[in-house]
Amino acid sequence: MRILLVEDDPMIGESVVEGLKSEGYAVDWVRDGKEAELSIAATPYSLVLLDLGLPRRDGIEVLKGLRERRVDVPVLVITARDTVSDRIKGLDAGADDYLVKPFDLDELSARVRALVRRAAGRAEPVIERGPLVINPATREVTWQGAVVALSAREYALLAALAERPGLVLSRAQLEEKLYGWNEAVGSNAVEVHIHNVRKKLGDGVINNVRGLGYTLASE
Amino acid sequence: MTSIRRWLLAALLAALAVAGLAAAAATYFSARDEVDALLDEELRQVALSLRDHAVLDLRRLESVAANPDQRVLVQIWDPAFDRPYASRIVGPGPMPRTDEGYVTLVHDGRSWRAFTLFTGRQLIQVAQPTALRTELAARTAWRLLVPVLFMLPFLGLAGWWIVGRGLAPLGRIASAVKERSPTALTPVPNDGLPQEIRPLADSLNDLLARLDQSFSLQRRFAADAAHELRTPLTALNLQVQLAERAQGPEERARAFERLRQGIRRATRLVQQLLTMARLDPDAAAAPSTAVDVGTLAASVVEDARPAASERSIELASEDTSGGSTVSGSEDALRILFNNVVDNAVRYTPAGGRVTVRCEREGDSVQVTVEDTGPGIAEEERERVFDRFYRGRSAEGSGTGLGLAIVSQVAEMHRGRVALEAGPHGGLRVVVRLPIAAADDADGPVNRQMRAPAYVRRHAEP
Repeated sequence: MRILLVEDDPMIGESVVEGLKSEGYAVDWVRDGKEAELSIAATPYSLVLLDLGLPRRDGIEVLKGLRERRVDVPVLVITARDTVSDRIKGLDAGADDYLVKPFDLDELSARVRALVRRAAGRAEPVIERGPLVINPATREVTWQGAVVALSAREYALLAALAERPGLVLSRAQLEEKLYGWNEAVGSNAVEVHIHNVRKKLGDGVINNVRGLGYTLASE
Repeated sequence: MTSIRRWLLAALLAALAVAGLAAAAATYFSARDEVDALLDEELRQVALSLRDHAVLDLRRLESVAANPDQRVLVQIWDPAFDRPYASRIVGPGPMPRTDEGYVTLVHDGRSWRAFTLFTGRQLIQVAQPTALRTELAARTAWRLLVPVLFMLPFLGLAGWWIVGRGLAPLGRIASAVKERSPTALTPVPNDGLPQEIRPLADSLNDLLARLDQSFSLQRRFAADAAHELRTPLTALNLQVQLAERAQGPEERARAFERLRQGIRRATRLVQQLLTMARLDPDAAAAPSTAVDVGTLAASVVEDARPAASERSIELASEDTSGGSTVSGSEDALRILFNNVVDNAVRYTPAGGRVTVRCEREGDSVQVTVEDTGPGIAEEERERVFDRFYRGRSAEGSGTGLGLAIVSQVAEMHRGRVALEAGPHGGLRVVVRLPIAAADDADGPVNRQMRAPAYVRRHAEP
């Protein structure tokens, strides 16, 4: 799950990146509106966290521009502008949710989960794919009724594949979902994670689709 | 509480009463004079007619003049009798003999006016109590006083109404002022006001306008400050949560270090806000003294030296101003130079160089601070003076207030601050302050009443 954070304050940015990473998200962080536009054009993000008071290009402008170009990535606006009219303006400009500073990391990740869930077209908070059950709120994974302990990356890998039923992701797509810009990715990192997941859950959990990539076993 | 209406009314009625009494007194005295002249003449006429008519047979007279209603008392002394003839008996004995002519005497405990005529044989005395004269004069005066006394209540009522009407504009102003609140300080309507009250309304409106400006400044400042405090508070909140989540001593130490930085930054913001509030134009009543700019700048440079050497920044200063002084507040100017030098050191990368030069330029002292930092893009140089604006390259601990404070202090001293590109790619800050004139006893700080720079810039749409 790859998230773009647009925040000009270094302290807030650093903390949010750290907090989200510890929950298994890959986070890219940019500090102004123009960079945000460039990044969104270049990378398919699952979610954008957008501050409004940005240098170079205001957050609302960035948001309107995205929606005009029919980019439908979920956007969570994070801002200190807290009047009702500001919120209405933000939501009408195309934001999916609105979070006012100062906020809580826990609330932020709950909202992130909700937005990602909605974007995947699910209403129920728990993902069920056959014998595999994933709870994004607790990051608890159950395989055939037993709880399995996974690393953050392994969890992220499973969650990415479980986003929609029958979803097939290539190695490159998985890499993109698992790693932010500044993270060194070994050439076989994805394979290593898949290997580990299979070892913990059983070979049948992830199938190879020849020439396309990987998918969750349907049964 | 004193009431203009009651006072005016009481004073008017009292004046009227005094005037009435004075008129009555004057009437009394002039009437008394007339009555005196008239009645004296009457006394004489009676005496003369007695002399002419009565070849005085006293026995015949006795029956004629014995009427007790008679206003006058006639007494005739005749050598043939040992007691005088008297028209009526007044008192135990006769009125004493008197000299010829008019005389005022006391007889039988009363004051009498008498006219005495000597016929050669008989002494004729015609007398009258003076009380009669007083009574006549008093009656005349009283007739004049009565209508005035009757008029007093009506005048009082009319006066009450008239004074009330005259003071009505005051009441209108009072209720108009009462309707005002700190959030709605619109001017009091001043059309149709009498010329005595118009100055009051005008100065009230002047005060209201200044209050309104000052209130909206304060409100904007508080709103801006609250808004700006959110950013460091958000950071602190997140940092605390990360510290709570931290696993292992290393991660925890890192989280706490970040938390400390966050607290330092919030503290700094609060300090800057306080500085800004203290520099508000209304608070600028600090006594102005002659400040030696070169010495002040040198001491600021010394203060910054530890921070500079910590990051191997070369901090050079040069002073050719020859002890030129400006008139103003040393504390405020120290804040100004502190901010400029502090900024330069903070934004200069390790191993860089900061130069502070102080020189005399005509009627001004010019302090130039150059650094080898990233500089400020030309399109941003105007905006960085705005409160809370933080440049693109601004780092974590900046508050966005530093340069706003700098320009505010400079304006307090009728100076100017300019940002330019430095010779080595960094920023050059030029502060120019007018040198104190010899006759400048008043000092620019006390005279400064205009809104400071940030206020005017914020006031634009």
